[in-house]
Amino acid sequence: MTDSVSETSGVDAALRALLADVLGLGADRAAALTDDSGLFGALPEFDSMAVATVLTEMEDRLGILIDDDEIDGEIFETYGNLLTFATRKVTG
Amino acid sequence: MSAPEHQLRIDPVGPPRATIVFVPPLFEEANRTRRTIVLAMRALAVDGFAALLPDLPGQNESLVPLDQVDLDQWQAKLAAITAALDGPVLVASIRGGALIDHRAKAAAWWRLAPVGGASLLRTLMRARASADREAGIASSLESLQAAAQLAPLLLAGNSLSPAMIAGLGAAEAQYVEPLRSIPLGEGGIVGTPLWLRAEPGEDAVMAQAIAADIAAWSKTCGIS
Repeated sequence: MTDSVSETSGVDAALRALLADVLGLGADRAAALTDDSGLFGALPEFDSMAVATVLTEMEDRLGILIDDDEIDGEIFETYGNLLTFATRKVTG
Repeated sequence: MSAPEHQLRIDPVGPPRATIVFVPPLFEEANRTRRTIVLAMRALAVDGFAALLPDLPGQNESLVPLDQVDLDQWQAKLAAITAALDGPVLVASIRGGALIDHRAKAAAWWRLAPVGGASLLRTLMRARASADREAGIASSLESLQAAAQLAPLLLAGNSLSPAMIAGLGAAEAQYVEPLRSIPLGEGGIVGTPLWLRAEPGEDAVMAQAIAADIAAWSKTCGIS
């Protein structure tokens, strides 16, 4: 059994690195993201192409498969929503 | 016959040790990496190599409409370009470039972070589905896939023909020899995955690492 806390922090670190890569945030801005930080609609870099890139990279880096029926606008509203979704996919 | 595509060529002082032909990533990823590729080309020229970055038909400055080309034509184009070069050729492909480099006439191949065509296509399809969702249009990967069999489909600004989409969906990097395939990151080229970036950037340190690794591979293969 993997400890769920360390699993979440692993997903968290992977997700921050991924957003830094796709959005060019830099390590500092990526580390400063909180659960309430807005993504789609709040960050100008976060356009529909970036959404698509994030989804494909999440699949590659987290070893998950994302069915596009699972995707709605809410997932990309905040960093917290995206992290919750990713963690559920990894542990589920 | 339409006008030939542009090629960016950087020559060394004196006769080149070999020609490095760069096959850029496909579609938007090419724009995001061009500056870094050109920096690597300059570094290779300083090291005595000629470096060539050809435009693929339908890409960059090409006058050919993108919806009239497919992967087979890109492979044939690279075969023709490399066959026309004097002296030894080393092909250096990045990401999706690795899907179209195997028919080139080369003494060696070098591939950075090669990616499958299905993954590239999935991202393009998702971008279209995401843009549709934003615009209040109902579309799914299935409905887009079905539409793509009949007519060119606009994916993230790229109008892709049914042949291109079918080819991409099935494309994998093909066996070539001698090949050095190198990942990005630890144990590979240290740098940033600029091809993922929403905004184009450049990475000078990564460009130097690319040039040094290609030069070392050329030497290992006994080319120069």
